[in-house]
Amino acid sequence: MSLKINRRDILAGTAAFGLAGLASAPERGLAQDAPRRNIAVRVERDPEVIDPIERKGPHDGNICRVVFQNLVRNKPNSAELDNDAAEEIKQTSPTMVDFKLKPGQMFTDGFGEMSAEDVKFSFERIGIAKEGAKPSTYRGDWTNLERVEVTGQYTGRIVLSKPNAALFQIAIGDISGAIVSKKAVEARGGEFSAKPVGSGPFVLASLERQRGAVLKASPTYKGPKPAFDEIAVRFIPDNKATELALRSGELDFAVVPPPTAEALKGAAGVTISPQPGLQYIWLGLNVEKGPLADLRVRQAIRLGLDVDQMLLAGYNGVVPRLNALIPAPILGNWKDAPLYKRNVEEARKLLKESGQSNIKLKLLVLNQPAFQNMALVARALLQEIGITVEVDARDGGTFWTAGKGDAGKDIEMYMTVFNGKLDPNFLTQWFVTSQIGNWNWQRFANPTFDMLVNEAAGELDPVKRAALIIAAQKEMDKSAAFVWLTNNAALVAHRSWLKPASIPGWLDWQYANFAAGSA
Amino acid sequence: MGITAETARYLASRLVTSIIIVFGAMLLLFTLSALVPGDPAVTLLGPQATPELAAHFIREMGLDQPLHIRLWRFFSNVLTGNLGQDVLSGRYVTGMVGAVLPSTIILTFMAIFLAVLFGVPLGCFAATHRGSFFDHVLAILSVTFIAIPSFVVAIFLLLVFAIWLDWLPVLGTSGTGSFADEAKRMILPTIALAIGWIGFIARLVRSSMLEILGENHIRTMRAYGLPERLIVYKYALKNACIPIIAILGLGIGRLLGGAVLVEIVFSRPGLGRLVYDAIAARNYPVLQGSVLVVVLLFVVTNLLVDLSYSAIDPRIRRRAEREGMPK
Repeated sequence: MSLKINRRDILAGTAAFGLAGLASAPERGLAQDAPRRNIAVRVERDPEVIDPIERKGPHDGNICRVVFQNLVRNKPNSAELDNDAAEEIKQTSPTMVDFKLKPGQMFTDGFGEMSAEDVKFSFERIGIAKEGAKPSTYRGDWTNLERVEVTGQYTGRIVLSKPNAALFQIAIGDISGAIVSKKAVEARGGEFSAKPVGSGPFVLASLERQRGAVLKASPTYKGPKPAFDEIAVRFIPDNKATELALRSGELDFAVVPPPTAEALKGAAGVTISPQPGLQYIWLGLNVEKGPLADLRVRQAIRLGLDVDQMLLAGYNGVVPRLNALIPAPILGNWKDAPLYKRNVEEARKLLKESGQSNIKLKLLVLNQPAFQNMALVARALLQEIGITVEVDARDGGTFWTAGKGDAGKDIEMYMTVFNGKLDPNFLTQWFVTSQIGNWNWQRFANPTFDMLVNEAAGELDPVKRAALIIAAQKEMDKSAAFVWLTNNAALVAHRSWLKPASIPGWLDWQYANFAAGSA
Repeated sequence: MGITAETARYLASRLVTSIIIVFGAMLLLFTLSALVPGDPAVTLLGPQATPELAAHFIREMGLDQPLHIRLWRFFSNVLTGNLGQDVLSGRYVTGMVGAVLPSTIILTFMAIFLAVLFGVPLGCFAATHRGSFFDHVLAILSVTFIAIPSFVVAIFLLLVFAIWLDWLPVLGTSGTGSFADEAKRMILPTIALAIGWIGFIARLVRSSMLEILGENHIRTMRAYGLPERLIVYKYALKNACIPIIAILGLGIGRLLGGAVLVEIVFSRPGLGRLVYDAIAARNYPVLQGSVLVVVLLFVVTNLLVDLSYSAIDPRIRRRAEREGMPK
C-alpha cells in the first residue's frame, strides 16, 4: 500500500488542524480561571540555592521558607511571630533564649525526626564562622551568636555574647533561622542546595536551571495543610511575558512593575493589589566630594529637588513618598520627619552663601527606566538652581561596584535601592562609619549616629529602641546627605480567585499561606 | 571507502585551525573579562558582600591570579571534562550547560528546518516567476521578515496566538516533562526565530537560482526538452544550494548562542540566556564554560558544513581530489 499526499490533502489537513485548535480554545481559557489545586507564580530571578546558608535572594528564600521550618515564623500577612517548630520559646535573659521543639516533626526523604541537635547545627553553620571555611553570606543576621547548647532531645538554649534586639525578627524567625537536617547536609554535601531536606509544608520536587522550581505539599508535615498541592515557581525574566502569561491564565501570581500593572488593568480574571513596599530608594550625596563637602550645597540640592515630581516620572506616581529611612510598619518610624518641599529661592540663597558657583555634578544611577526617569527630572530641577548634572546610568555589574574602596571617593550623587527587612537595625546598618568604602557611599561619618545605632541593636525595650532609632535618623537628616524618595510599592497581580500572602513589604512571600478565595 | 591520506591531512589541518579558533576566542574572553569594570563578588552577593566574603569569592573564582595562570587552569580543567564551578551555587558548569543545551539545540535546528522548509520553495518560486506580482510580494515579505527583530515577532505571535486566539501557550516551557505539551510550546519560539531566516533564505535562493538558471548547461537541458520542473528542482536547485549551506552553517552557529531574546520572551531555558545572565552577574566561571561550548558548537557546525560541500557538488569533489581535501 502506498501513501500518496497531494496539495489538496495538505490544505485539507492544515484546515482541519486549525479548526481543531479553534474548537479547543474556549475550554482552555475557562479551565484556567477557576480555583485549582495547583498554581504557578513568577519569580524574576532563577531559583538556584535552596539552602538558608547561601540563598541568593528572596526568590530562593521564599522557597526555603516553605521547605524548612523555623522555631517561630510570621503569621500570614503579618509582622507578628508565632510558634512554628517550637512548642515553647522564651528569652530568659538579654543574652539567652530557651526553646523546646514539638515532638514528632519529621524531615523528608527518611532523615528522621527533628531534634535540638539539628537546631544547633542550623544556627551555628550560619552564625559562627569556622576556621578556614567560607563564611556565610548571612552571618550578620546572627550578630552576637556565641553558641547553641543542646540540653535535651527537644530542648536547647541560644546563647549570645551581647544582646541582639533583632534576634527574633531577623534570625530566629527569618530564613537564617530555618532548621535543616544535620544528617542530610552531611550526607548530601554540595548537592543539598538542590536537594534540600526540611520538615516544612512543601518539598522541593524539582529545581531546573532557567525553568524554576516545583513545590509539592509534604505528606509528613504536621502543621496546617497548605491550600495547594503544587506550586510551580516559574522563572520569567521578561515583564511582557509575565503580563501575557497572567492574561492567558498560565500564571496566577506575580509582583509586577508599574507599566505592567497599568497594562493589566481591566484584564479578565486578574486583580492588581498595590501593597506598601519594603525597599528603600534614595538619592545620596557624597559629603566628602568637592562642593558637596559644604553642608549648604547639600541642603540646596535637597530643596532644589521635587520628590513628588521625581516619583511621578519614575513610578507613574503609584508609590508613596518616604521622608526618613524607617517606614511606618517598622519600629522607629519618625512620624514627624520633615517633608522637604521644593524651594528654588531658598536653594539659590544657600548656594550663594556657600560661595560655590558653576557647580557641575555627576549623578550615578542604575540603567533601569525608573531610575533614569527620576535622574532626568532631577537634572532639570537642579539646572534651575544653577547646578549642572550629568547622568551616569550603569548596568548592575558596574553600578554596585562604584562605591567600593577608594573608587567611592569619586562618587558625587547617586540614586540607589536596597531591600529592607522589618527591623530598624537591618535598615540602619549600611550607614555607619565602618561601612564607608563598602555600602555607605555618602561617606557619612557621624559618631553620634554610630553610637545610637549600636545602642539600639542591643536595646530590648521597644520604646527605648524606637527613640534611639529616631534620634539616629535626625542625625542623618542634619547631614543633608540623603534625599529620601520612596519605599516603592509592590504591585501584586494575581488571579482574582487567589489570595496571596506575604510578610509586609511583599518581598517575603508566604507560599504556604496562599489560599483560594478573593483577596 | 576509507579515509585517504589526503582526507586525513585535511581533517588534521582543520582540527588545528579549530583548536586555534577556540583558544583565540577564550583568550579574547579572558582578556575582556579582565577589562570589563565591575567587581563580580559585589555583583553576585549584593549588600551582603562583606570585604572578607568578597575576598573569598575572588579567590574561589581564581580572579586573584594573573591572566595566563587562569587561562592555563581553565584549559587544564577542560581537558578533564570540567568546565569549572559556579562559586555561588556550588554547581558544576558542565551540568548547568548540559541542562540547557538540549533546549537550545532543539530550538535552533527546528528554526533552521522551518526556515529551509519555507525559504527554499519560496525562493525557487520567486526565481521561476521573476518580475511577476508574486515575485514582488515575496520580495516585500522577505525583506520585512529579515528586518523585523525576532523579539518583536515573538511578542506579536504571543499576542495573536496565545492571547487573542488562545490556541497556544505563552510560556515556552512547562517543566511537566510531557512531550506533547513541550512540542506545543515549541511552535511559537520556533516561528519567531525562523521567520527572519525564511526571508533571508528565500532571497538567497532566488538570486542563486536566477544565476544558475541563466547558465549554459540549463539552456542545453531546455534545448533537449527536459521538463522545467526537473530542471529547476533537480539540477538548478542542487547547484544553488551551495551558498545556502554555507549561510546555514553560520546561522546554526549564531543561533546556538544568539537566540537569547526569543528565549527571554518565551521564558525558555537556553545557552544564550545562560551566557547573558552570566555576563550581567559577572559570573565568570559560568560565562567561560558556556562561551566555550558555544564556540565549540560553532566550530564543529562549520566544519561539518565545509565537509558537506563535496558531497553535494562534484566540482568541489574533483577539486578536493586534486588538492588533497576530503572526498
